[in-house]
Amino acid sequence: MASRRLTIISVIARRLIAALPAAGFGLASGHVRRTAFARAWRQAFEDLGPAFIKLGQLISVRPDEFSDELVTEMRSMQDAVPAVPASVIRNVIRSEFACDPEDLWATFDDVPLASASIAQVHRATLAQAYKPVWGEELPAGTALAIKVVRPGAAEAIRADVAIARSLAERVARMRVARRFDPVALLDEFAATVDRELDLRVEGRFADRFTFDFRDDPKVVAPRIVWPRTTARVLTMEFMTGWRLSEIDVAKANGVDCYALAVHGATAFMRQVFEYGRYHADLHPANLFVTPDNTIAYLDFGIVGYLTPEERMNITQVMAALVYRDPDRALTYSAKLGVNVPPDRVEPVRAGLGELLDGTFRPDGTRDFAHFGLGFLKLLGQHGVQIPSGYGLLIKSLATVEGVARALYPEIDIVETAKPFTTRILGKAMGDPARLNERMPAAIRAALREIVA
Amino acid sequence: MTDNVMSFFAAWMLTHEVADEGLKAAVLRGEDGGPEGMGGGPDAFVNGLAAMVAEEKEKLKRDLEARARGEEVAIEQQTDPAFEELRFEVGELRGRLDNIEGLLETLVRKSGS
Repeated sequence: MASRRLTIISVIARRLIAALPAAGFGLASGHVRRTAFARAWRQAFEDLGPAFIKLGQLISVRPDEFSDELVTEMRSMQDAVPAVPASVIRNVIRSEFACDPEDLWATFDDVPLASASIAQVHRATLAQAYKPVWGEELPAGTALAIKVVRPGAAEAIRADVAIARSLAERVARMRVARRFDPVALLDEFAATVDRELDLRVEGRFADRFTFDFRDDPKVVAPRIVWPRTTARVLTMEFMTGWRLSEIDVAKANGVDCYALAVHGATAFMRQVFEYGRYHADLHPANLFVTPDNTIAYLDFGIVGYLTPEERMNITQVMAALVYRDPDRALTYSAKLGVNVPPDRVEPVRAGLGELLDGTFRPDGTRDFAHFGLGFLKLLGQHGVQIPSGYGLLIKSLATVEGVARALYPEIDIVETAKPFTTRILGKAMGDPARLNERMPAAIRAALREIVA
Repeated sequence: MTDNVMSFFAAWMLTHEVADEGLKAAVLRGEDGGPEGMGGGPDAFVNGLAAMVAEEKEKLKRDLEARARGEEVAIEQQTDPAFEELRFEVGELRGRLDNIEGLLETLVRKSGS
């Protein structure tokens, strides 16, 4: 543990020292200096492996805590690592099932399909028909994707988190950060990674997703083969098509990018505003498209959950953006735990109004990322603590906008949200409890208007 | 007495007329409410909602007219969501049992080896 601690410190120190010339030895302008050091942190995290790659991904969703430059760098973090040999993966499978891959599946391909910091994916075929949790039976011979946790990944991540936590405790004692609580950030990170390391959690979410979108054949997720799944091995349906990162190939094959962008954005809105559970790790490599314009969601390692109350309050904040209503945004953000001190309400409100007015691009469409990330930044500038779920959701919506725009640059995601937010709020207006609560005030207001 | 009743209905009719005109204007504003026309805060929400309700009204009107002509109107068959949810819960339970069965098979293999 002591040697790993030294490695961590030396890798970070080496990268930061190497960044000194680019940072003008600390004399360059603020932005140039911060960009150089942010790049050094990102490179150090990539060098240090899975735990730090995941930590970087968490930092990338906290623009309220970290500088723009660091958030941008961490967003470009590459979670692609060299594959481990097939023999090592076979050993994991043997230790999980006490038999060879060929005894579990009709075929198993030793060449990996993908390799990331936590898991590696191999192709296989189903040996016998299986009825999944939802939908049609999967016949024998169905193509499968087998996700296997890399050996030692869990232990290495937990050990690194323990070391990073002890370093963070020292940083916290030095009080170098104004609002940033490194220990709380690491605890949040440990909880996220723990969930991601148990692949059954991901499998259950994928099943739930399939059920939620049962009425929409154009949105799918891989179904899980449970008898061949453990905490470290996930057996799921193989999705054919192109990753959004290969969108040019998809376009050449006749995919309707506009339909796909609108449908993809709408599907995400449904997850947030209707179901309150959403894929929180969306990026072009986690989305597949097929020639018939079906969207397949993959990799449910990081997901977000909202209670019905949170869902309604988030819908209200979105409605505030759609209808450019700063008071509504502040009222319902407060209900989500964003508590602006009374003496800061006016400047925050003014800043919010400016953000809402400045969300337009030159082509007339609105820019959610500008609003969402700008709002987080604004709250950070005024010393307002932001609940982690709130930051994650805003980052997810901004990412969906980015993905949709990669498909179809002129899409207006705020306009896409309009029917959702309006319908949901309209439905909520008819709720008897709400009517009971609001009706006396409404009648009083009407009477005041009549007698005025 | 007669005058009072007439006045009451006149007021009632006027209220309806004003409300109807107000609603129609809101629907028009809601339909026109593109990105440039959305600066109205809460009022813009009411306009948007009015436009959506008007869409539903038009759909209902078309259905009723089609029925009056004797045409068959496709009624959306909605499965009871609670029943669907229950089916999913049962499916999920089956998945968990399948998973436990797989685990037991592994344990048997491990104890036999």
